[in-house]
Amino acid sequence: MKYAFFQGCNIPIRVQQYATSTEAVLNKFGIELVVVPDFNCCGYPARNVDEKSYLLPSVRNMAIAEKMGLDILVICNCCFASLQKTKNVLGKDKQLQEELNGFLAKEGLQYKGEVQIRHYLTVLYDEVGIEEIKSRLVNRLKDLKVSVIHGCHLLRPREITTFDDSFVPKITEELLQVIGVTSLDWRGKLECCGAALAGLNDELSRKLLQEKITGAQAVGADYMVPVCSYCHLQFDTTQLNMVGENSSDKLLPVLLYPQLLGLCLGIDSHTLGIEQNKTIEGSDTERLKSLLGPPVEEKKRRKKAKTAVTA
Amino acid sequence: MNFNILLGLAVLICLVGLIFRLSIWFSQAIRPSTSTLSIGSRIGAAVQGIFGTFFSSGILQVVKSIFVDLLFQKRILDKNALRWIAHTLIFVGFILLFLMHALGSTVSESLFSDYQPTLNPFLFLRNLFGVMVLAGVAIAVFRRISLKPKRMRTSPSDWAALIFVGMIIFSGMLLEGAKMSSFTTYQRMVDDNAAFSDEGDAQALEAFWVAENGLVSPNVTQPPEAELVARGREINEESCIYCHASNRSAFAGFAVAKISRLFAAGVGDATAVTMFWYLHILICLSFLAWLPFSKMFHIIAAPVSLIIKRVTGDEMDEPANVLNNRMIGLSACTHCGTCSLECSSGMFYETFQNDFILPSEKVQYLKKFAAGKEHDPEIIKRMQEGLYVCTSCDRCTNVCPSGINLKELFISSRYSLLDDGRPEATMLSHFSFPLSLAQNFVDDHLKALSKVTTLFKNSFQHLTDLTSPITLGKSTDFGNNSFKGCYSCQRCTNICPVVRSYDDPTEALGMLPHQIMFSLGIGNIELATGAQMIWSCSTCYLCQEHCPNQVELCDIFYNLKNRAISKMEAGANA
Repeated sequence: MKYAFFQGCNIPIRVQQYATSTEAVLNKFGIELVVVPDFNCCGYPARNVDEKSYLLPSVRNMAIAEKMGLDILVICNCCFASLQKTKNVLGKDKQLQEELNGFLAKEGLQYKGEVQIRHYLTVLYDEVGIEEIKSRLVNRLKDLKVSVIHGCHLLRPREITTFDDSFVPKITEELLQVIGVTSLDWRGKLECCGAALAGLNDELSRKLLQEKITGAQAVGADYMVPVCSYCHLQFDTTQLNMVGENSSDKLLPVLLYPQLLGLCLGIDSHTLGIEQNKTIEGSDTERLKSLLGPPVEEKKRRKKAKTAVTA
Repeated sequence: MNFNILLGLAVLICLVGLIFRLSIWFSQAIRPSTSTLSIGSRIGAAVQGIFGTFFSSGILQVVKSIFVDLLFQKRILDKNALRWIAHTLIFVGFILLFLMHALGSTVSESLFSDYQPTLNPFLFLRNLFGVMVLAGVAIAVFRRISLKPKRMRTSPSDWAALIFVGMIIFSGMLLEGAKMSSFTTYQRMVDDNAAFSDEGDAQALEAFWVAENGLVSPNVTQPPEAELVARGREINEESCIYCHASNRSAFAGFAVAKISRLFAAGVGDATAVTMFWYLHILICLSFLAWLPFSKMFHIIAAPVSLIIKRVTGDEMDEPANVLNNRMIGLSACTHCGTCSLECSSGMFYETFQNDFILPSEKVQYLKKFAAGKEHDPEIIKRMQEGLYVCTSCDRCTNVCPSGINLKELFISSRYSLLDDGRPEATMLSHFSFPLSLAQNFVDDHLKALSKVTTLFKNSFQHLTDLTSPITLGKSTDFGNNSFKGCYSCQRCTNICPVVRSYDDPTEALGMLPHQIMFSLGIGNIELATGAQMIWSCSTCYLCQEHCPNQVELCDIFYNLKNRAISKMEAGANA
């Protein structure tokens, strides 16, 4: 299977490890990702300003993918939502589709509405499947508790994103369960990290972020696992900016799902860019490696746990 | 006029121009209002930086940069092979022609003891280099035309540069062609170098040159006989070939001689040679004089910019050098358009219809801005928007073939304009996210933001300061009419993470989500649009997801934000 890899604007420059770890993991399952330099911004940043300006960039991106004959695989939640939203809106409004296609015609592009937008977790869950993942595992993590934060624009509005049950999502639960990670039940799981308010109202944005950090720490999370790249930046960069201001705060380090899965597939931590996460230190990597055990679920068989560590 | 006078004049203008352009590096600045650094201290910082580099390991980076960035031009190759071919053809061809041909009497003669412009390989190479340049120019023209639909902007000065370069070469070829066919030139050569024992030899040589070397002779009107030509060939090989190779090896000149002959037929062959000589010399000297005032200044500035990038990696501490580097960067721009072709905001350009969204156009404007030549508030306002409608993806900086730190230029100029300018409504967008993340210009950002929030507050009536009762509006079509399903159960307000963040949410947010729906319900769109709540909405969609009657609150808030911004912009521009 082959996808046009949509990384958006933030990931290539600020969260590169998300792209590299996702690619490394998907390659293990025979899924090929094609980087498309011609893709532009998904339109999301302009949504407050003008709805048409918000939709047009996604139309162009989808038209490019259609021209390549590929479906789009997205890792950024906000890009995912923009593409899905645009597809949905144009599906119902052919007149608008024609109007926006008018902009693309100059470049010889045309959006027909054939392309499918897939979030990488959906591809892992639906296309690869839990059983296949299980069969490929060389390691399994144990005694690791994380707080997942989905990011709003992946789950909601459900009729646009069609990702999972927006009230009780199960995809992330099962994907973490299969690699032995405990996904904690905590109140911020489905809530907002504050990213959308950053730069507009930093005080409120940070308040929402702090609420999530405190919430995750209260339930004893070892790591925060954000799905969305904006959430990642909030926890991995803004958190550090905030800690710089109040040095008494305890840092909540951040890991991305493909990094965790990658470790269990035997991919080395360097390829997964684990230490590129700003909140991760060398000791975290060592700790994660020490938590890797054989890929079996029974708790009794612990003999070979330490020898199975991969470099 | 005397050639030396013309040359002296051109060199003088060029030198004055160069000094002028170089002085801009240290005298102009993107943030003049906050810059208190004197020219002296800026030059001092630059000299210090250069010395620091030369007497450290930085010198290795400079050497590497000279080979990788300047001579090989790897940054161009990395992005586009065709562009690299075009630029390399022009660069190599032009430099070699300049050294070998224009400065032939000094460079070539000192390098090659047997140098003669009429001998091979020099005769052939001159033509080869000329054709290389022309081929490069042709590719460049093709590129500019074919990429126009992809937001490639070409200004008259871009065409001028290409035409100039092309004309230098083409006029040289015409001159060479004219000389080849000129009987006067031929006679001069014969008089200078040959002594014929009999008249037949002279005739035979002339016949040979007519048949083989493109000479147009008044004595030879019919195609000469093969026997005569053969005899001429022998004489040519005995007497001429040591100083003059076959004109056919000057293949380009030989080919365009067909054109120059038409002129010669009209004005006479000697006049034609003089005419093309003047044409070629005047174009070359004009180019020399024009160079410092045009984008061709990149010949000087781009190498400097590239070396600085290689040595510093875009990290600079010395404030004076940051200012200097911005100005060097601006002068290194060739308006090649690579940044605009790759710009992630390209589609916003299409809807906003604002040229300044394209990075290449921002740079052109910033040159004027830095020089203090731009005062039109309308243009400044559009520039402000263009600088703000940027996703901060840094692609422009990564692809710039001249190695300009565009990102840094744009961020600093953005806040410089916001500081002086009108409120910028697009600040109220997610374009602000990366800026908040980077934590640069924090105070400037907050200051500019407060201008916008004040504008927002002043643009609308508010629930808290209504002097008269809330009015029923004429419920016009709102675009999203799902609010009609609201029965004020307040589930949205109860689940909202923003509402729960405040002790007194009504005071902080103006109106609560359900109140906004109510306001729309009674047709008072204006009141809803003015609620601070829409800008405090974290767009988490919890309200919309939990609404028991499918009211699309979050989408409606986006709609209200669009309305608020267009009203603010209209008000600010009124």
